[in-house]
Amino acid sequence: MGSSVSHAAAPPPPLPSPSPPPSSVGLAAALPPKQDEKAEPEKVDWLNLPCPIPFEEIQREALMSLKPELFEGLRFDFTKGLNQRFSLSHSVFMGSMEVPSQSSDTLKVPTAHYEFGANFLDPKLMLVGRVLTDGRLNARVKCDLTDNLTMKINAQLTNEPHFSQGMFNFDYKGTDFRSQLQIGNNAFYGGNYIQSISPHLSLGTEIFWLGHQRKSGIGFAARYNTDNMVATGQVASTGIVALSYVQKVSEKVSLASDFMYNHLTQDVTSSFGYDYILRQCRLRGKIDSNGVFAAFLEERLNMGVNFILSAEVDHRKKDYKFGFGMTVGE
Amino acid sequence: MAKSSTSMEKLKGFLSSQISDEEKWALNSKLLRAAGLFAASIVLMRNFGDLMAI
Repeated sequence: MGSSVSHAAAPPPPLPSPSPPPSSVGLAAALPPKQDEKAEPEKVDWLNLPCPIPFEEIQREALMSLKPELFEGLRFDFTKGLNQRFSLSHSVFMGSMEVPSQSSDTLKVPTAHYEFGANFLDPKLMLVGRVLTDGRLNARVKCDLTDNLTMKINAQLTNEPHFSQGMFNFDYKGTDFRSQLQIGNNAFYGGNYIQSISPHLSLGTEIFWLGHQRKSGIGFAARYNTDNMVATGQVASTGIVALSYVQKVSEKVSLASDFMYNHLTQDVTSSFGYDYILRQCRLRGKIDSNGVFAAFLEERLNMGVNFILSAEVDHRKKDYKFGFGMTVGE
Repeated sequence: MAKSSTSMEKLKGFLSSQISDEEKWALNSKLLRAAGLFAASIVLMRNFGDLMAI
């Protein structure tokens, strides 16, 4: 076997290894040795986990991106701040509202209403009231009783008998958990609890009891989030499975997807959408597994003046909804 | 011939009952479409999401 090494090129003489630069010995000894940051993962402090998101907001990123307030017709909102804490709002809506119907055809009812609202916002107390020309009153109260205990009251009062609703919520925020107790009219009692299991994962459960109909239910939820993504899942004994996934592609762009299955109504829907939050506008669009396309644009024309465009197109049911409006004030 | 059906035969029977029945197929096709859209959108978001960044 011949040697593959060519004898013609003699190996170059080994270069003298450069002597270490003369550094002050004291400095080299004083500085700590350079650590390779990527080798060691951050150590988790299991006794100091972050406080989780409230149970009812577990899918909030997906809801914000995929469920804008689409409307059909004209919408005009005006908010006037009277002082730092108190503001009044006037809203006009003229258009069609969808009425749920048994048949597959959509039933639209032309509606027009004016809504007057008053808001009081304090760091510890929030009061919001809205009254409409069709006789409905909405009221919301949020009060921080202590640093960790919050009370919320929601009420919707109507002219029609037996259609009014009210609900009391008591929220307790712990170091790495949250719990809530709900008491509503029609003998509704509910509670939920959510706990941080790791810095990224939180698990929760809810239970409710409807007194008048003698129905109860239990549900479980999980939320996994990192800096770039949020994945949630919810299962309930009422036959609902809801999954969602949100990917934060950049500071201005989010992509979101959700899946909802309802066993009782045998209905399953999935949607995929985008959310662009730019300096002058916010654009959200989505496509559905039922073939429905929707888009919602809020364009900032001036300081405090926003122009709104809403579109929802369902070719299969031949249902086309286009709306435009303006929002003045914060 | 064995009288009891094997698990493979049970599976085939279950699948054919779900596909041939009109009502069940209507729901199953919606379920497949929705699950497919959800899974495909997650794959797209994770692998090609950067293309939509500004």
